[in-house]
Amino acid sequence: MRLLTKTTLNLLSISLFIYLFGVIAFYYSLRYQVDNNVNKEMEKRKNSIVRQMEEAHSSVSQPPSRNEMVIITPVDGAGSTDRYADTFIFNKEEKRYQLFRQLGFRETVNKQQYDIRIFKSLEETDNLIVSIIMTMTILVILLIITLLIVNRYSSRLVWKVFYDTVGKINRYDLNTHEEFALQDSDVKEFADLNRVLRTMTERIKNDYLNLKEYTENASHEIQTPLAIINSKLELLLQSGVMNEKQYKALADAYEASIRLSKYNSTLILLAKIENKQFPESKMVSPEAILTTLLENLDDLIRSKKLEVIRQITPNCTVQMNPYLAEMLIVNLVKNAVRHNVKGGKLVIEVGESFLQISNTGPDLPLDKNLLFKRFYKSSSSPESLGLGLAIVQKICALYGFEVSYQFREQMHCLKICYRNEA
Amino acid sequence: MKILIIEDEKTLSDAIVEYLDGKGHLCEVVYTFEEAVEKIELYQYDCMVVDINLPDGSGLDLIRLLKKRSITVGIIVVSARNSLDNRIEGLEIGADHYLTKPFHLAELNAHLKSIHRRISFNGSNELILNEIKLIPDEHRAFVLDQELVLTKKEYELLLFFISNKNKIITKAGLAEHLWGDHMDAADSYDFIYTHIKNLRRELLKKGCKDYIKTIYGLGYKFDIT
Repeated sequence: MRLLTKTTLNLLSISLFIYLFGVIAFYYSLRYQVDNNVNKEMEKRKNSIVRQMEEAHSSVSQPPSRNEMVIITPVDGAGSTDRYADTFIFNKEEKRYQLFRQLGFRETVNKQQYDIRIFKSLEETDNLIVSIIMTMTILVILLIITLLIVNRYSSRLVWKVFYDTVGKINRYDLNTHEEFALQDSDVKEFADLNRVLRTMTERIKNDYLNLKEYTENASHEIQTPLAIINSKLELLLQSGVMNEKQYKALADAYEASIRLSKYNSTLILLAKIENKQFPESKMVSPEAILTTLLENLDDLIRSKKLEVIRQITPNCTVQMNPYLAEMLIVNLVKNAVRHNVKGGKLVIEVGESFLQISNTGPDLPLDKNLLFKRFYKSSSSPESLGLGLAIVQKICALYGFEVSYQFREQMHCLKICYRNEA
Repeated sequence: MKILIIEDEKTLSDAIVEYLDGKGHLCEVVYTFEEAVEKIELYQYDCMVVDINLPDGSGLDLIRLLKKRSITVGIIVVSARNSLDNRIEGLEIGADHYLTKPFHLAELNAHLKSIHRRISFNGSNELILNEIKLIPDEHRAFVLDQELVLTKKEYELLLFFISNKNKIITKAGLAEHLWGDHMDAADSYDFIYTHIKNLRRELLKKGCKDYIKTIYGLGYKFDIT
């Protein structure tokens, strides 16, 4: 529920509640006032009736009025105080009961006790009260509607900055290097929010840049010493003063340092993928990458006497970073070739929305949970880094591709679905 | 060939010089951007090896400076940054090659040689070493004027050997030269062996001396001494 709807509903229910009580209270207070007025009028009337009776010797001229009635009955007994009451009287002409206010009192005129009752119709005042309350209701409803409309409109204006901020946060991308420019607001809360957000994004950005810098520095700092080690070892090899045993030791050291540098650059690549430092994206053709790759791996494929079966739907493309696309496919294919058996099969399938690489290999399904872990190695290839599928998985996670492993018909199948929505 | 090496890591630049020296090259080394600019202003070089990360500037800026002054010089960029952006940028602004640290000295040397051939003979040259003759532009090789039947990889292998004659070339270095990043070193050793076997057989068949020496467990040497 939007905040605006919420506040509107609150406002509406509370105001209706208050209005209901207000109307009831108003009605009673009005009623009281009216009764008071009528009472006073009847008081006057009473005096005038008594006066008239005294002057006219018990003959009272009644003014012909449907609003008023006076009933005088001679009674015995002592007089009492004035009695006010409401009563219904049947109207013969209109055939309905009408509300009357009654004042009853005893008066002694010429030594004769009279019970006098004055009735005054409340019809008119009742109508008045009803119409007043009606008018009030209409006014209140109009007021509430106007308030709601004004509130809505002004909220729109006030919240505009907020929605602008939300939209900007939503679109904010550290990699685009865009300025995080929020609108200024004269509402203190929003100004505060924007200020806090600005500081926060600034801090995140700085942290991110630091991290990025760190990865780059780490790469540089480690690769340079490695470059020195490698080049010095290479020079040492040229010196030609060593025996075979020494050469062997040197060769081992040389190879180890090369492997170390490969580890290093691969780990940095993984970190970079995690940091989403490959924002560039365009349509990439897996077919083209595969063609070059298979050419490059030709020696390896031929030495293992692999049968390569290509089932490639032509002109399929996928939207992603070209370098990562290459890394993805290279790692998948290399993996499939390396873990293959001599004379085995390598099936490469490319469709509109998927890429599947299947290969023969050890007749045992692999552990799905461990497969994509870093440094997980099958015992058959101690030389592999154990990072290839970790890279594959990271890239897939980055783009939301689905990667799955299956073992069927003696083939290890790795399938990547890259258009889930289609 | 006159080579300027701009690399702030002294030990590394020393290693490069040591590897290249004594091959008829004249190497000069500078360690900072400033020094490099000074040298470029004063002297003329055939080739430059530029590190991107210099303490007081970027090697890429140095290349831009060279291009702005229209100085023709072969440029090899070496960088610890293995990012595609950097690589593309480096090549776009006029570098001839981009090597990622750590690189094999033999690889660097091979690139320098190819630049040397290009600038000294305008590309249309022949490379002659005793009885072997290479025409790099056409990817053809001859021994005693008989053409060798070589695969692409075998030809590349021969060229690489000749560029690094009399040096021990490690298997890892060979693998990287022939297959780049696409193949892991350990996987490729068998193919190197196969290619070398084929190359040697072809050379011997055409009457070439057996120059290719195997250094056990380590690599090979194209020994013409």
